[in-house]
Amino acid sequence: MVNFTTRMIASNVTVIQPKGRLNMAAASMLRKQLQDIVEGGSSRIVVDLSATDFIDSSGLGALISGLKIARQEGGDLRIAATPKQVGTVLELTNLNRVLPTYESVDTAFDD
Amino acid sequence: MNQSTQLLTIERALETVTGPDTLAEMQQTLDAAWAAEEVPEYTRMCMDLAVSEIGSNIIEHSGNGQPVRLRMVVTVGPETVSVVLNDDGQPVSVDLASAAIPEELSERGRGLAIVHRVVDKVCYFRDRDGNHWTLMRRRSE
Repeated sequence: MVNFTTRMIASNVTVIQPKGRLNMAAASMLRKQLQDIVEGGSSRIVVDLSATDFIDSSGLGALISGLKIARQEGGDLRIAATPKQVGTVLELTNLNRVLPTYESVDTAFDD
Repeated sequence: MNQSTQLLTIERALETVTGPDTLAEMQQTLDAAWAAEEVPEYTRMCMDLAVSEIGSNIIEHSGNGQPVRLRMVVTVGPETVSVVLNDDGQPVSVDLASAAIPEELSERGRGLAIVHRVVDKVCYFRDRDGNHWTLMRRRSE
């Protein structure tokens, strides 16, 4: 499986864009990639969800895993451009409190 | 269109052996059912999600890392939408009564909690042929 696209934006923030369905197979790939990003020295991560068609509990697990390791290294993981289905699943699981949605990838770390 | 046609029940089925493409095949089966009958978007989303959760559970736990035979039937009736999933794998440990949302930073354990929130009925039973799941939701939003 091909990795998800990543890019660096201003102020040392890494953006990763999971495409398609974030289910069991894709989630394990995302989990590994997030770990690699943090181990590579970048603990400020934006997950750009604009191209994510679907998420389930496996995908949520990968996001939480990334959030925890990013915070352990003094950074954070933030989600941006959340589509309707992903927003609904975050609300169903109350994870919208832990992972609030930022409108834009570019401004997610502006605070 | 006469009355009996309007009340026609649509059925789409999948028979497969679990592997890397199983979740995609299951979604294609759901999409085929949604293409055949008008079902509200939120109902489709709920069923897609519930099937992904139980499908992942079957792939991961029923076969204990090995493929299992899986039969899935999607039924769109006049009032309800249901999905039946049968596999010939090993017994899975399921506690439907305690499908609570885990603590916020838990990385696992949300699957059944999600299923309970998006369907009206979830049943699991085990017999000598394997594991049997039924997911049902009212068709209207």
